[in-house]
Amino acid sequence: MDTTFVLPNSGHNRDDVSSKLGMWLFLFTELLLFGGLFLVYMVYRFIYHEAFLHASYDLNVWFGGVNTVVLLTSSMTVAMSITAMQKGDILLSKRLLWLTILAAGIFLVIKAFEWSAKFSHGLFPGMEHYSTLPNGERLFFFLYFFMTGLHALHVIVGAIILLVVINAIGKNRVRQDKYMFLENGGLYWHLVDLIWIYLFPLFYLIH
Amino acid sequence: MSTTAANADLSFFQVARGIRSWIFTLDHKRIALLYFYSIVTFFLVGVILGFLMRLELIAPGKTVMEPHTYNQVFTLHGVIMIFLFIIPVVPAIFGNFFLPIMLGTDDVSFPKLNLLSWYLYIFGGALALLTLVVGEGPADTGWTFYAPYSVKTGTNVSIAVLAAFILGFSSILTGLNFIVTIHRLRYPGMTFFKMPLFAWGLYATSWIQVLATPIVGITLLMIVAERAFGVGLFDPSIGGDPILYQHLFWIYSHPAVYIMVLPAMGIISEIIPTFSQRTIFGYKAIAYSSLAIAFVGYFVWGHHMFTSGMSGPARIVFSILTFLVAIPSAIKVFNWVATMYKGSIEVQPPLLYAMAFIFQFLIGGLTGLVNGALAADVHIHDTYFVVGHFHYVMFGGTAFAFFGGLHYWFPKIWGKMYNIRRANIAFTLMFIGFNVLYFPMLILGIMGMPRRYYDYLPEFQPLNVISTVGSWILILGLIMMIINFIQGYRKGKTASQNPWGGVTLEWQTKSPPPLQNFHKAPEVSEHGPYDFK
Amino acid sequence: MNQHPNQHKEHSAEVHIVSYREHASTFLALILLTVMTVTVSVFGADLYTLTVLTALAIASAKAVVVGLYFMHLKYDPKIYKAMMAVVLILFTVFLILTLIDYLIRP
Repeated sequence: MDTTFVLPNSGHNRDDVSSKLGMWLFLFTELLLFGGLFLVYMVYRFIYHEAFLHASYDLNVWFGGVNTVVLLTSSMTVAMSITAMQKGDILLSKRLLWLTILAAGIFLVIKAFEWSAKFSHGLFPGMEHYSTLPNGERLFFFLYFFMTGLHALHVIVGAIILLVVINAIGKNRVRQDKYMFLENGGLYWHLVDLIWIYLFPLFYLIH
Repeated sequence: MSTTAANADLSFFQVARGIRSWIFTLDHKRIALLYFYSIVTFFLVGVILGFLMRLELIAPGKTVMEPHTYNQVFTLHGVIMIFLFIIPVVPAIFGNFFLPIMLGTDDVSFPKLNLLSWYLYIFGGALALLTLVVGEGPADTGWTFYAPYSVKTGTNVSIAVLAAFILGFSSILTGLNFIVTIHRLRYPGMTFFKMPLFAWGLYATSWIQVLATPIVGITLLMIVAERAFGVGLFDPSIGGDPILYQHLFWIYSHPAVYIMVLPAMGIISEIIPTFSQRTIFGYKAIAYSSLAIAFVGYFVWGHHMFTSGMSGPARIVFSILTFLVAIPSAIKVFNWVATMYKGSIEVQPPLLYAMAFIFQFLIGGLTGLVNGALAADVHIHDTYFVVGHFHYVMFGGTAFAFFGGLHYWFPKIWGKMYNIRRANIAFTLMFIGFNVLYFPMLILGIMGMPRRYYDYLPEFQPLNVISTVGSWILILGLIMMIINFIQGYRKGKTASQNPWGGVTLEWQTKSPPPLQNFHKAPEVSEHGPYDFK
Repeated sequence: MNQHPNQHKEHSAEVHIVSYREHASTFLALILLTVMTVTVSVFGADLYTLTVLTALAIASAKAVVVGLYFMHLKYDPKIYKAMMAVVLILFTVFLILTLIDYLIRP
């Protein structure tokens, strides 16, 4: 005998609120993941504040500043992309997403440039010059590479997610009446921006 | 999976067969059982390691293994028991199976994420076992991986730590899933304060899983980075602070013990009303105390570090906070006992385990306070007193609650009943064995026997012998319990829909439940979840 | 806390659309704050603790703006703000308790 029975609040229904809530919870985990690193930074900056100051001179404020502006711009473009989707302007939505990804690319290029400059000075953990540095400075550069590296990884992942969103829009799986995936992608991107908002002053603006 | 076309005459076991229908399932009940079989397997490995440890400690000096091996055995015992057994056991098994049913829905919010959680669990477990067979063997640092030794030792610390990292992800995703499920999928009429207390326990736990686990995740990555690059993050000889590692580690690992115990307390809150046939005393107090334990529990981690070299003010602050967190736990104990008072008590195996829980958790909790008192801790830190304490709460508490839950929900899950008399005998053996095994440790600790030591002074031997004998009695009881379940599964009598007279929603459906959990609309009482008319 | 069963109609006409203009204003505010923080740093004095606190204060202002406006928290149900607040309080207490150790070590 076939009884059909539907539970009104089924876990198998589409539920945009669940989707958004789940995304926020995931963002919390990311915040705390980086939080652990910020805690380490706080302790060692407190203990080695002179060394941190000295080491930070090796970082270029203008590169950091430009990258900050680039990410802030990308946050704006992805937010506008959602507005466009809500208004039904699919083409504009996709274009804004492409702009966001472009910004991600620019960010990564500048970062690569900064990092390779450091490599050529032998400043990466394990390299010659690095091992001659005093303790506090070694810790500064380790944290710099670890934290901006982990952040860059998230920039890459975020860009990939947005590419997938663009693809989904093309296949009509993200549309004016169903765009939670785009919103969640945007939320992830804003997280990436948020982390940089703190990384920038803590590494580039010490003095 | 279409909820509109499933045949409610079939149990969830019968709707599909074959191994692929299990490994690729999206059904929360099957995922729960996948976890059940894997977690129990790892538990048994952990038991064997514990058995070997007790064998070694039956006499001073070398008994059955070399000192270096002993370090690896107790490390692996801890890693398996904590990350592969105690943390996931209740949420991943009973949480997965019963949370949706108790809320009156057909699955969790994110069924695919749920399956991914299990895959991650298996992957992490495999990595942990891998440390046994490659390189210099399993880590020998203790499950706490303290720096600087964990950075320098040649044993498989990086693999072990990556295993823990992956297991952490599994835990995070489960917690995330449960939080959304509880917020969004309650049956119409079931407000937060009409949810069963097991759901409240899972809710509080899930927040800890989501918010605390990432910190240990990043800490473990730092260990790997330090082993790879020799930076000096935690190495004092090059300017690092080993206490910083301890801060980071315990910021997670203390809340982790509440991940271990809150769901177990949730099980007790389910068993006691049913076997007292009356509603729980102080429902809201128990619900709020779950949240309070979770919240305050985030701020006490320093009590693991009283003798490490933290500042005096820090130690005092942590000690005060530690005393505060005992209060909501005590509230629960009082409420459970008050529920039983003048109830219509029926003594069955689930209730035996629940009462053992209360007794053992009490000892564990009170010894926790002794540990939390600064002056006393100086004397007993890193002694067998601590080992006794945490086994009382984790094993005598959580594990016994798990066994109680198994005895309680076995007929619902498998539709069969086990032999009650044999269950009672197995319980008796386990209860006696457990206390004979662990109570002497409390005394040994006060006498001064250090933990994680391969050897000890002759004056400690008599109690060690008693403890080891206790381990044998306990294992006998475990084996008997397991055999009883297997026989119940294969040859047991068919169980009725509601053999214990419970009133939460899982007892309104068939044993075993159909695929979408209910064969008719669940009835949510307006008097709350424990409406014993 | 949501006590109603989820319904599709939650999703229909109630969607709040943030205008392009509002996004642009948010962006400008963020740029302004960035300019502020760089200026203070490059041209300001070495004030040690005050330097850190100022930088963190401005960064936090930017974070709040991103959270409230770009991430839509201002217009979302209160529960999201509540959860975010809990996470922030948690993290802040972690920092404070750890600092209590390091600040007062002999």
